[in-house]
Amino acid sequence: MFLDASGLMVYYENMLALNNVGIKAEDGSVIGVFGSNSAGKSTLMYMLSGILLDIKKKEEMRGGERITLLGKITLDGEEITSLPPHERAARGIVLCPERRRIFGESSVIENLRIGSYLAPRKDRAGDIEYVFRIFPRLKDHIHRQGGFLSGGEQQMLAIGRALMAHPKILLLDEPLLGLSPAYQKIVIDSIREIRAARGITIIIAEQYARPVIPVIDRGYIIENGSAILEGTKEELMGNPDVKSAYFGV
Amino acid sequence: MSDGRDRKERIDRGIKVRSDGLYAVSSLREMLYLSGPRILLIAGLLLLPLLLDPFPYWKRVVNILCVYALLAIAFDFLANCVGLVCLGGSMFIGLGGYFAAVFNVHLHLPIYLSIPAAALAGAVIATLLILPCLSLRGVYFAIVTLMYPLLFTRVIEAFDLLGGSNGITGLDSFPGTNLENYSILLILLAVLFGLRRVLNDDIGLVMHAVKDNDQSVRASGIDVVGIKALAVFIASFIGCLGGAYLAHVYMWAGLSLFALDFSIIPIAAVTIGGGGVLFGAVVGCLILVPLSEFLRFFGTFRIVLYCTVLTAFIVLKSEGLMPYCTRKYEQFERWADA
Repeated sequence: MFLDASGLMVYYENMLALNNVGIKAEDGSVIGVFGSNSAGKSTLMYMLSGILLDIKKKEEMRGGERITLLGKITLDGEEITSLPPHERAARGIVLCPERRRIFGESSVIENLRIGSYLAPRKDRAGDIEYVFRIFPRLKDHIHRQGGFLSGGEQQMLAIGRALMAHPKILLLDEPLLGLSPAYQKIVIDSIREIRAARGITIIIAEQYARPVIPVIDRGYIIENGSAILEGTKEELMGNPDVKSAYFGV
Repeated sequence: MSDGRDRKERIDRGIKVRSDGLYAVSSLREMLYLSGPRILLIAGLLLLPLLLDPFPYWKRVVNILCVYALLAIAFDFLANCVGLVCLGGSMFIGLGGYFAAVFNVHLHLPIYLSIPAAALAGAVIATLLILPCLSLRGVYFAIVTLMYPLLFTRVIEAFDLLGGSNGITGLDSFPGTNLENYSILLILLAVLFGLRRVLNDDIGLVMHAVKDNDQSVRASGIDVVGIKALAVFIASFIGCLGGAYLAHVYMWAGLSLFALDFSIIPIAAVTIGGGGVLFGAVVGCLILVPLSEFLRFFGTFRIVLYCTVLTAFIVLKSEGLMPYCTRKYEQFERWADA
């Protein structure tokens, strides 16, 4: 599936969070979005998944901040700009949110079953098998409550839960947040595996580019809400400014 | 999302920005802007009894209104500033009322002593009763506070305590209607502004933090249960003050002091007026209590109208009147290019 977002602008009250950002994700590609804290990565992810529409509505009812959303998002040529998040999920755009947001009171298996709500029932057993194959650790804790898993296991569970929904475009918001290098490797390997096995388009937002860069095809650098650089993996790695800021070289 | 590349932006009014700082004292207009709403509220409340002088019935409604406003402030304080949803406003009214009756009728305390003493005693008892469930999070507090008034009613009825279902009669009344009016109005204003000051103080910040994340508060070395108990004590003191006053106005303390109305109307008032700002509770009462008096004409059907108004408010303006008006007062909107 081809996701094309252009001219995205997001205002939280009078603060500009995203400034004219455009992002394209071709079928089956892995896209990296890099930026520091408060660059606008999460806002971009919320925008693509439609969660921001929901946040906007809640803020309006509460009388809180006014959120202004501008821009256009199309999926395979069909405009989905004002489509609510659950309908976007039904079309295959699935968000694996920052800080996991797993269901802490449900067990591992229940979390996965909740994730498969939209997918055909007959695929469920096979999908769960698949998740356990790429994340064998989850199988050891199959009946443990999500809230009692370690941070790394929770991240695996969050990715697994997103996979259960049969995503065509998987949005991973800071999947490596707070993970040890060993766990980072497991997650990155899983991304490689998911892409190879299922041909899912994946968009990864991260602060630190180095662990992610081997698996991506193209990347965007976001700073202060603007996409300041866009290019292939090689182009980004060749850029000295990017190197020092996001690779720690 | 709109296709036009423009958006509505909210900008602070110039006078708001100017009067935020020290410049406020430089001009009369800015000072008036700052103090205007407060003066309006204070003057409005204090003038009410004078304006309603030809209507003795409505003067009594003002008294009831103030008692409800006290309860609404207590509810708002507990729910939105400490995070404890209290469904037991009638418990405070009942405890305060019965204590006032005991102090006044049995112990022969004069009215100006029995009301504060009853408020204090009621607050202590209420805090002790609620204390066991303060260390729990979740709905337990709400359930317990909802149950106590029912429990008191049945116990008083079953054991024929404190006059049983007849209640205690023969409380002293206020020496004059003006004193009756103004004492509760002044109490209301003192509670309102006093509590606001408490909330802006350090202890208020800690209470707000307890609502936000009690584990972090514990990690900061603060006794969460103690803070909650203090908040419950303050709120129940305010509620019991209203109850004691009410018993003296009725010259009677009976089971109807534990009526569900005292629990529900304050919550409704906070919903309409807006939570978190104590003024909202008063504004909500100023609307709801007279409304419910007007609706008395419809008999029990008024509950239907009441619920409709409430639901409409939640659906259409869930922020409440007060936050909405504050925003309009402080900010204006204009179209801007995105």
